[in-house]
Amino acid sequence: MSWCVKSLSLICQQIKNPQLTCVRNRYHAEKIAKGPLLRRYGYRDRILQSGTLPHVDGPRLPMPVYRPKNAWCEKRALFGQNDYIDILGNGDLHPTRIMYNVQSWLRGVKGNEYQILLRKRKIFSKGIVPIARPTKWRDLNKRISYLYRFLNEKTKTGMPSN
Amino acid sequence: MAVVNRIYLFSRISITPKILLDPINRVCGGRRFDSTSVSSDGEVSNSSLSTTPIIRRTLACPPEYKRVQQAWVENLNTVEEQKLGLIDLHPDVFGAQPRIDIIHENVEWQTKYRKVRYDHTKTRAEVRGGGRKPWPQKGTGKARHGSIRSPLWRGGGIAHGPRSPQTYFYMLPFYTRVHGLISCLSIKLAQDDLHVVNSLEIPTDDPKYIEDLVENRNWGPSVLLVDEIDIMPRNITAATDSILHINLMPVYGLNVFSMLKHDTLVLTMAAVNRIEEKLLYQLNRPDFMDVTKKFMLNQNG
Repeated sequence: MSWCVKSLSLICQQIKNPQLTCVRNRYHAEKIAKGPLLRRYGYRDRILQSGTLPHVDGPRLPMPVYRPKNAWCEKRALFGQNDYIDILGNGDLHPTRIMYNVQSWLRGVKGNEYQILLRKRKIFSKGIVPIARPTKWRDLNKRISYLYRFLNEKTKTGMPSN
Repeated sequence: MAVVNRIYLFSRISITPKILLDPINRVCGGRRFDSTSVSSDGEVSNSSLSTTPIIRRTLACPPEYKRVQQAWVENLNTVEEQKLGLIDLHPDVFGAQPRIDIIHENVEWQTKYRKVRYDHTKTRAEVRGGGRKPWPQKGTGKARHGSIRSPLWRGGGIAHGPRSPQTYFYMLPFYTRVHGLISCLSIKLAQDDLHVVNSLEIPTDDPKYIEDLVENRNWGPSVLLVDEIDIMPRNITAATDSILHINLMPVYGLNVFSMLKHDTLVLTMAAVNRIEEKLLYQLNRPDFMDVTKKFMLNQNG
């Protein structure tokens, strides 16, 4: 019998003091301060928002081991040496004559593909390439003919008119 | 410093009559160059305080309205620094305005002008095969094609790919390079990164000696030692061989990139003389129009 009275009294108390849950905010700032509303409770979003590796559960992708470049190997430590040899050394020796890492016919050469190919043909025609590499030689000549027609018929040539 | 200089001249004139030519050279202001333009002698000083020879250096043609730069002459014989003298440096070479933009241009040029790209792709004409029309124009329900090596096809040629060799060569104007060197030397001197040494002789060929020396004198971690000619004393070559960040270079190999890469620049007296002689000549040469011409290929530079 006592539990009946207790439960009855509890109900009366709840009617007298109802539990209030605020559903609306008085100020916008309070709404923002509470943070985003939790929706779809229990749902796990399968998009990884952080981290670098795509597979977190399971075997990781192989990343190469970081090997820093040796900034003081001989090539890098003495880079640029002798570039000013015509100023600080013999005035007749131009830096283009010391560009030993570049093929001899390319030292001091700048141009578009057509100009480079013309120079290549002029220099290689004296050697063994036309006889020993006929396909390559033929391809070179074909490319030069194609570029000649393309640059003269399909692109503007000469100085601008205005 | 002016007071000391005046006293020095006074004492020199009383000793040798050859010095009478010096004031004449200064007054005339002529830009005459001969191999004996500067005198670096270690003669005994007149003062009764010391008997060790003091290294001196007078400029043959100092400019009238610019302050002369100066640097201590140190030794490499001992780990501790010993100052052997104070020398004059020409302000046009070591006291010029530091032009950061010119230095940047020089560094860019040094990085790029030797670069050649060798990557290459074949066009549809060069790829093996692809001469025949794969199927008739009409009738089959397939798309129309002329060759199996067109850029649309798998395994076909590349239409606008890299075509080797591609060069990035260009030459900076001559005096841009000269001023790059001058700016860099001036900056090194102004920032206390330039040291003058009497010679590159060291007592041992132990790398540890050089490391202790650099550590003791607070020279930067990387040091560039410059001598006049490319044959260096044996001990220093052996000692710096194993240390990768301490390098030896002759005067003709000096360049802006190396000067910026190495923290400290150490010049010998002979190197200072040679650098100054060369750069002052380039600044004042009568045939400058010949060197400022555009670079033409196959004309011996």
